[in-house]
Amino acid sequence: MIEAKAVNFAYHRGEPVLNDISCKIKDGEFVALLGHNGSGKTTLSRLFMALLHPRSGDVFVGGNNIADLEPADLAHQVGYVFQNPDLQILEDTVFEEVAYGPRCKNKSENKVKEQVEAALAAMGLAELSDAYPRTLSFGQKRRLGVAAALALNPQTLILDEITNGQDEQEKNNMMQYLEKLNQEKGITIILITHDMNIARQYTQRALVLHNGDLVFDGATADLYDGKSELSEWGLKQPIIATLSATFGVEAQNAKEFCEKLYLKEGVAQ
Amino acid sequence: MSEAAIKFEKFYYGYINGNVVLHNVNLEISKGSFTVISGPSGAGKTTLCKSMVGIIPYYYGGRYAGDVEVLGESTKGKRVSDLSMRVGLMLDDYESQLVSLTAGEEVAFSLLNHGFAPEEVATRTKQALADVGLPGRENYQLDELSGGQRQRLLLASVLAVHPEVLVLDEPVSAMDPDGAHALYKLLYKIYKEYHMTVIVVEHNINFLLPYATNMIVMNKGEVAAQGTFEEAAAIAYEIPELRQNLPELWQVKLALENRFGITLGAWRNEEEALKELQEKFVGGGCDD
Repeated sequence: MIEAKAVNFAYHRGEPVLNDISCKIKDGEFVALLGHNGSGKTTLSRLFMALLHPRSGDVFVGGNNIADLEPADLAHQVGYVFQNPDLQILEDTVFEEVAYGPRCKNKSENKVKEQVEAALAAMGLAELSDAYPRTLSFGQKRRLGVAAALALNPQTLILDEITNGQDEQEKNNMMQYLEKLNQEKGITIILITHDMNIARQYTQRALVLHNGDLVFDGATADLYDGKSELSEWGLKQPIIATLSATFGVEAQNAKEFCEKLYLKEGVAQ
Repeated sequence: MSEAAIKFEKFYYGYINGNVVLHNVNLEISKGSFTVISGPSGAGKTTLCKSMVGIIPYYYGGRYAGDVEVLGESTKGKRVSDLSMRVGLMLDDYESQLVSLTAGEEVAFSLLNHGFAPEEVATRTKQALADVGLPGRENYQLDELSGGQRQRLLLASVLAVHPEVLVLDEPVSAMDPDGAHALYKLLYKIYKEYHMTVIVVEHNINFLLPYATNMIVMNKGEVAAQGTFEEAAAIAYEIPELRQNLPELWQVKLALENRFGITLGAWRNEEEALKELQEKFVGGGCDD
């Protein structure tokens, strides 16, 4: 479990970035962390793994206050995948890349192999084990980033814009792997995203930050009912959600919307 | 059909030691159009771009057949520098295209290489910086500019040469949605003002829905659809693996047209779509 209690944060000499944030993320949840640019979502997520420390208030990870902890202390509990995959790639093969974390933790070579293979399999990269990471496609590099975090067997994965810059196939591919991790292994997933469609389709709970305030904490579906202040928070309702709300048919995609509207209307007027 | 800015005829290309990545590409991009090139990853979009500006085959070598014409001239035997006066290219990895210390030097770099007089260089630099929303920043160090500003600076340095055709390969891949919308809005303004031909590789067609006049959809190294935006979207909709990459709004439009046997407008934004749908279907905001 990750818990923030009355957390305030500002960067060095800067304006306040987070104001009095309190929230709890339970083990096994699949949570979207939403908000416009500069709303504080990346900052908040970095507090969850001690990359930053609050100015006031407390953050607890697995029951421990992070005040005296560093990211390395939490690496086996919280895995963090950054926005730009190229910045996280260090090694010459996919296997070595994923093995880096467990080796730093002084695991035996057998254990390393076991954990790496499990992580690669979980992200669909088993066959690319010997590939040179920089030759991977963008989508594969992003999955490599997740596999590297996964190899330390964390309870929680924090993924910063993991689907950015990918086409629909790759996005859905990525999300299906994550959904499986969440459902089958009970891994908590915190998805920082701009993609309101992805959030709507895959997460059960959403946290919305707006100018450093936590303005929404609830079921993701409630965010898209046409009543929440999405646009005030600088977020955009996906068109399918707008259409669903406008025409009173609950749909996740264009085809479903069309079929349900057809059933409702019978024929066009 | 109006005059072609770019024309591919039976073009095949394979990188050295690589598979053939473009198969029998036949296409034509009209002068003055704003064309989006889309398609799944690995469809050959970037290779197509590089072939348009002569980097392929001049720089990469490899094997090719067929012909590419840029503004009426074959790229065969042309150096990239011969073409760069007329066709500007902006790569997705924009940082690698920046070479100078200050914004002014950066914009002036290609002008000086093309042998423009100092006064002309200064005038054009000033204008290009203003065009991309960085007026008076000549003396700024590159590291004083944000990522988005550096990208606009690169656009300025390509524009300063006054190319007739501008080719951009995934220019917003490293940007957040707000930044992406802003860059495309700017690009459209420049397109309108200078009557250029603009060609953008972008897998997220949504960003370009308000602007694109034409579209080319690539799939597995081949041209799967081309034509006006409307025509190409309708063709791509019929191909299952391409359908999901169309803007959602257009997936809705084409699904409704098929299902209800009606014709809907060529929506370019959500407001247009909602307005028409509320006129045609009941339930649109009637009960509240």
